[in-house]
Amino acid sequence: MAFVMALFMVSNGDVFAKELINGIDANFPPFAYVDKAGNPGGFDIESVNWIAKKMGFTVKHQPMDWDGIIPNLVAKKIDFIASGMSITPERQKVVNFSIPYWTIKQVFVTKKDSKLTVDQVLKGKKRLGVQRGTSEAEWLKDNAIKKGWDFVLVYYDSAPLAIEDVLNGRISAAAMDDAPAMDAESKKPVKILGTFGMHDEKFGYAVRKQDTELLDTLNKGLKMLMADPYWDELVKKYLRK
Amino acid sequence: MLDALIAIFEALPYLLKGALVTSGIVVGAMGLGLVMGIHMAVGQVYGNRAVRWFVGLYVWFFRGVPVLVLLFLFYFGLFALIGLNLSAFAASTLVLGMTTAAYQSQIFRGAILSLPKGQLQAARALGMSDIKAIISIILPQALRFSIPGWSNEYSIILKDSALAFVLGTSEIMARSHFVASRTYHYLPLYITAGCLYFLLTWLGVRALLKLEAKVRIPGYSQ
Repeated sequence: MAFVMALFMVSNGDVFAKELINGIDANFPPFAYVDKAGNPGGFDIESVNWIAKKMGFTVKHQPMDWDGIIPNLVAKKIDFIASGMSITPERQKVVNFSIPYWTIKQVFVTKKDSKLTVDQVLKGKKRLGVQRGTSEAEWLKDNAIKKGWDFVLVYYDSAPLAIEDVLNGRISAAAMDDAPAMDAESKKPVKILGTFGMHDEKFGYAVRKQDTELLDTLNKGLKMLMADPYWDELVKKYLRK
Repeated sequence: MLDALIAIFEALPYLLKGALVTSGIVVGAMGLGLVMGIHMAVGQVYGNRAVRWFVGLYVWFFRGVPVLVLLFLFYFGLFALIGLNLSAFAASTLVLGMTTAAYQSQIFRGAILSLPKGQLQAARALGMSDIKAIISIILPQALRFSIPGWSNEYSIILKDSALAFVLGTSEIMARSHFVASRTYHYLPLYITAGCLYFLLTWLGVRALLKLEAKVRIPGYSQ
């Protein structure tokens, strides 16, 4: 038994101290997903790979459940999160964020032939899908009470699953970041209805509070990357097709 | 339709690797459950009051709490508390193993109790120690009777292993979801995942049936 335990411990990566683990939500194209060959891919993955190479560390991208990704970071199962995570005050209480690298708008997505307006989704007793554990889910829940909106929030494991249920007709619309919404638009008969009044958000890499050295490394790497022509290449490849 | 088939075809190697991960979890968990379960069953039938009480408590706890709660409880709580930083795969395997141990112990206990009491007494009369009697008289019979119940437990744990993704283990279900998020072929991919689980269940149950036939003692009846 002790031997088995030892085997498990070794495989956990403690021995290879130089390899950092980046926790990703692999259900979040185009920022993070699993490509055709089964390897992690996407904007954040390629960014981090570039940074790792420049800053001299090796990185492994570990797909995780988004719902539990911050507990996983705090429990040291992963070392940082570079996976389209919005910088929010609530999250900043638990983790530190790198410099922001992308600004995102929150939008509603409906069926392509839908005649709904944003107002009708907010105030028409509609069923509205959202990914569990996201900043937009929190915002919609809080503001519905404040502003007297009467939609019913329906929670999903991922944004693409919410899209799927828009197509199934179980929900009238889904709320999500604009980048995955555009990705869905290019693949399925859905359309972006428009923004719904939520403030813009910025994406950053999350690290544990005590890992200031890692934060410095990531910040330095991000600055270098954003000043490099490769950044524009990545943006064009993934985010502004 | 065609692009769905192409998507499945492209994703198949990736999903099959997930089937390996799932198999790893299940084999590990069932193995751990077997070892622990036999000891617990023997302890519960022949042990003193303290042992019986402890096994009873263990079984009560692991059968009473949902596997999902156990996974979170051990991975983020108890394992970390005792300084064990296990990988998600190891933790899923251990937790499922400890859970199935509780169920398996009851399968073995039922099998042991189904044997005539006189056997142990006869073994003692022949001068065997209790431990020797249990190992060479009781368990060889009880384990044979346990195979049908055990194959049932196998197919349950196989499907429970889909929960392992909450800890970040990329098994069949998680991988199907990843591929569907990129391609939006949800239905075809979930059907594929279902087929993989079906195949694994069938292979396991089939192998256990073979085992049952192989170890059957000709002319033996209780």
